[in-house]
Amino acid sequence: MNNLKHLLTRPLRAVPNSLVIFVLIIALIGFADSTYLVIEHYQGVIPPCSIIGGCELVLTSVYASIIGIPVSLLGAIYYFIILVGAFAYLDTKKTEILKWAMLFTVFGILASLWFVFLQVFIIKSYCVYCLGSVMTSTILFVTACVVFKKYKVNDQISMIQ
Amino acid sequence: MNTKHIIFWIFFLLILALIVWGLAVAMNKAPKVGPGIGTPSEATSTDHILGPANVPVTIIEYSDFQCPACALYYPIIERLTKEASTTVRFVYRHFPLFPLPHKNSIFAAQASEAASKQGKFWDMYKLLFENQTVWQDSNTASAIFEGYAESLNLDMTAYKKDFGSAEIKARIQRDRDEGDTLGVNSTPTFFVNGKVIVNPQGYEQFKALIDATASGGAK
Repeated sequence: MNNLKHLLTRPLRAVPNSLVIFVLIIALIGFADSTYLVIEHYQGVIPPCSIIGGCELVLTSVYASIIGIPVSLLGAIYYFIILVGAFAYLDTKKTEILKWAMLFTVFGILASLWFVFLQVFIIKSYCVYCLGSVMTSTILFVTACVVFKKYKVNDQISMIQ
Repeated sequence: MNTKHIIFWIFFLLILALIVWGLAVAMNKAPKVGPGIGTPSEATSTDHILGPANVPVTIIEYSDFQCPACALYYPIIERLTKEASTTVRFVYRHFPLFPLPHKNSIFAAQASEAASKQGKFWDMYKLLFENQTVWQDSNTASAIFEGYAESLNLDMTAYKKDFGSAEIKARIQRDRDEGDTLGVNSTPTFFVNGKVIVNPQGYEQFKALIDATASGGAK
């Protein structure tokens, strides 16, 4: 609990632009991937069955929507929030914004774990677009861990401040 | 907020809008079939054909009994062959996505071929699609298909013998091999008068396509 409080209250040092641009690129890929599925959903496309996998089984399963909202739309909103956070940091250089955007990646990794579990154990089919999103959200989470590990203000500096 | 910030954010929102717009346009325009899909062979007496021979439009479907999308098109095809029976005939060809993602697809195809040996291909075809959710995940699908065969009053000794016969397996493989050669990589893949089509969204779109082909006088 203390660790969590520490994580939430401890400021970050300036993070290099290159790392933030990397986050932006990964989040953009995730955003495009999710948006593709959102458009397909609202176009009412009947996904064909493909040699390479079972997208149709995943996308037509009961787990593809939560109270009528396609999970792909939730995914697109998630990536949008990360994009706004990273872009706002590039604009303002306020590390607090980047910190909250990076903390938000926890939701992405938790959702990804849930969807991998569903695909492996419940639906028993895999959708390449969903796995793509699992990959981008995992990269974002790992990058967030790197940011918190490498760019946290250490305790002594924090106390001086 | 100064001008620089405003331009910065407009640029950001423009990129996102461009992605969404680009995807929407590309998905509307791009055919949902791969490039270079070939022309299937003419329907012969060894094919499963529904409808008269002397009609202007022939639909050939490469299909998989375990594919949910094929099951969604099944009633559309049923309606088309009934309501446009003077313009269209339908040819079913096997393209089982076996072993993955559809573990029971090959057994369903074998059941349909075993029924076909006794002149009941289309009856089994109906039962397989209409009950797809019952058997798709089953570990005893073959036993379920035997139940369907019994309900069709098939000679069960012959059915069981045919079900696993090399002849039937070769028959299914022939369709699958031709599909592979054509470049079919998903099901259902429809060909109308030898040309691959983008899967129509619903009956009305399919019927309009058939009518246009029929009035075009092709074949």
